[in-house]
Amino acid sequence: MTHRAELKQLAEFAVPAAAVGAAAGLMAGGLAGFVGQPVGWAVVTGLGLGVPLVLFGAGYAALVALGKVPAGVFAPAAVYWAVAFPVSLLVHAIVTAWVVTGTPGLPPEVGKFLAFRALVSMGFAIGFLWMHEQLGRLWWPRILEHNLYARRTVEAYAHLAATLQARKAATGRGRVRNKRTA
Amino acid sequence: MDVTSKTSEVPEEPAAVVTEKVWKAGRLEPMPIRKLPDAPPSMHILGPTVFLVALGVGMGESYMWPRLVLVFGPDIRWLFMVGVTLQAFVLLEMARYAMATGESIFFGAARIFKPLMWFFYAAAILIYMWPGHLSAGAAAFEEITGIPWQVTACVALVFVGVLFSLLSVIYNFLEKLLGLLIGLLVVGTSVIAAIVGNWDDLGRTLSGMFAFGYFPHDAMTSAWFPVVVGSIAFAGPSGMQQMWYTLQLRDSGAGMGAHIPKIRGLRAAGEAESMPSRGFMFDTEDPAEMEKWKGWRKWVTFDAILLFWGITMLVTISFTVLAMSAARENPNVAELIEGGDREAALKAMSDAFASAGSPILGTLFFAFIALIGLNATLGLFDSFSRGQADMTYYFVPGAKRFSMSRLYAGFLWGVILFGILILLFGPADGPAGILDTLAFLSTFAMGAYCIVLLLTNNMLLPKKIRPGPVRNVIIGFGAVFYLGMLFYCLFRFGVAVG
Repeated sequence: MTHRAELKQLAEFAVPAAAVGAAAGLMAGGLAGFVGQPVGWAVVTGLGLGVPLVLFGAGYAALVALGKVPAGVFAPAAVYWAVAFPVSLLVHAIVTAWVVTGTPGLPPEVGKFLAFRALVSMGFAIGFLWMHEQLGRLWWPRILEHNLYARRTVEAYAHLAATLQARKAATGRGRVRNKRTA
Repeated sequence: MDVTSKTSEVPEEPAAVVTEKVWKAGRLEPMPIRKLPDAPPSMHILGPTVFLVALGVGMGESYMWPRLVLVFGPDIRWLFMVGVTLQAFVLLEMARYAMATGESIFFGAARIFKPLMWFFYAAAILIYMWPGHLSAGAAAFEEITGIPWQVTACVALVFVGVLFSLLSVIYNFLEKLLGLLIGLLVVGTSVIAAIVGNWDDLGRTLSGMFAFGYFPHDAMTSAWFPVVVGSIAFAGPSGMQQMWYTLQLRDSGAGMGAHIPKIRGLRAAGEAESMPSRGFMFDTEDPAEMEKWKGWRKWVTFDAILLFWGITMLVTISFTVLAMSAARENPNVAELIEGGDREAALKAMSDAFASAGSPILGTLFFAFIALIGLNATLGLFDSFSRGQADMTYYFVPGAKRFSMSRLYAGFLWGVILFGILILLFGPADGPAGILDTLAFLSTFAMGAYCIVLLLTNNMLLPKKIRPGPVRNVIIGFGAVFYLGMLFYCLFRFGVAVG
C-alpha cells in the first residue's frame, strides 16, 4: 500500500473519532447561530474548540488503527485526553481572547488552567470513548471491505462478536424450548 | 430449595416424556434448567446500564445537589457519595436475580409474596402516570426556542409513542439512541465545565465527597431536612427505576435473559415469539456454568462501576462546578437557587454562563437540561410500560391472551394519552393534595425493594450464587437508610420528602 493510500485509509477510519470532536464545536457554533448570536462568535467558538478536538480525535483513532492502543479500553484514552483536552481548551481560550481583544493571549495562571482541564478530561474521555465505539459500530462495518484498519479493529472485537453469536444461538434454542414448555 | 428433577410432558410431542431438571423457587412454577450463555468481555462499553444512567441522571444531579452545595457548602456531597454508592450495590443485586433467572424483580417479589408485587404495580401507576417529569426539559427547550413547553411536551409524548410503536425490537434501538445521547451529555458537560469552572471549584467539590459525617445544624430543620432526604433519594436512580433495570437487562439478553423473547413495537407485535410462563435457571453444580456466571458478574460490575457510578458522579460534579461558578459570577444566582424556584435558578445559571464565557454558553446549558429531560422521558416511558406489561402478563388473569408486546403498547399509549390530557387540562405533577403521598411512595418503594432484594436473592437463588454477607449488610443498610429517613422525616416534621 502506498503512503498516500495508507493516509487515506487512516483518515477514513478516523471518521467516528473526528465526528465526536466535531460534535462539541458544531454544537457550540450551531446553537449560537440558532439563537441569533453574531456569526463571528458562532464560527470562532465552534472552530476554536472543534478543530483541536477533531485533530486530537483523529490522532487517537490513528493510534488505535496502528495498534498502539487497544480499541474501547478506558485507561489509554484517559491518558491521551489528559494531555489533548487541556491543550484543546488552551487553543480555544487563546482564539477567544484574540477575537475579544484583538491580540491572542494566554489565560491567567496557565498551570492551574491546564491542571483543572486535565482533571475534567476524565469525563470527556469516557464520553469520547463511549461515542467513538457507538459511531464506530455503525461506520467500520461499512468500510471493512477496502479498509485494512477497520478490518483489524473489527477483528479485535471478534471475541465480542463470537459471544454475542453464542447468546443469539442460546436465544434460538430457548425459543424452541419455550414454545414447548410455555 | 434445591435443584430437583421433574417429569413434564411436551405438548408438541405427546408420545415423548422428557425428564428435565428444574429449580424450585418460592410458590410459583419451578424454573427449568437451561444453559447460561457466554458473557461478553467486561471492557465492552455498552450495556443496559445506559437506561439507568438515562433515568438516573436527572434533576437530582443537575439541580438538587448543586443547590445543596450552594446552601451548605461542598462538604454536604458526602451524602451524595453514599447515596450513589448504595445504588451501585442495589444495581449489582438487581442484576444478580435478573441474570440468574431471566425474570424481573417483580416476578421475584411475587414468588415471595404476591401482595408485594401488587404494591409495586399500584405504586408505579400512581407515581409515574403524571407527566410532570417532562416539564424541566421542555421548559429548557422553551428558553432556547420560545416554543411553549406544553406544546413541546405533547409533541414529545406523541413522538415517543409513534417511535416505539414502529420499532421492531425496542430495546436494541433505545440502547443505541440513549448511548449516543448520554455520550453527548458527558462530552458536552465536560466541555462546559472546563470552560467556566476552575481548579478551586473542582477541588472543593471533590474533597466534599469525602467529608463523611458533616451535617450542619440547619440541615436538621423542617425547611431543609425533607429536601436533604429527597436529594439523597434522588441521587442516581430513584423510585422504581432500579426495578425496571431488571427488565432492560433481560431484554438485552444478559445471563438467562437470553432465553426470554424480546419486546417488539406494536407494528411488529405479531412477530413476537411466545413468552415462557416463568424464567429459567442454570446448573450451578456445573463448574463450566459457574465460570460463565463469574464472567457475567464481571461484566455487570464493570457496568455498575464505570458506567453507572462513574457517569453519574461525573455529571453531578460537572453541574456542581457549573453552579459554583455561576454563583461566583452572579450572587443573585445563589439566592435564586437557595430559594427553590427551579426554573428561575436554571435561567439565572444560564445567564451567568452567558455573561462569564460567551453568549452561547447559556444556551448550551439549557440545551443540556433539555437533553437530560429527553433522556429521562425516553427511558421512563419505556421502563414504565415494560414493568406494567410484565406484571400484567404474568399475574392478571386472562392477560396472557394478549402478547407481552401488545400489553407494552397498551400501557405506553395509555400513559401518553393520559399525559396529554393532564398537560392540557390538569396539574402536571399530580393533584396538589396527593403530592406528599406520591413523594412518600417513591422513597418508600426504594426501601421496599431493598427488602425484596434481600428476600429474593437469599431465598430464591441456589446457594452458590447468593450474595455474600457484606453485600447483604449493605442492602440491609439501604432498607434502613431509606425507610428510616423517610419515617423520621414524616414523624419529626410531618412531611414526606422535599
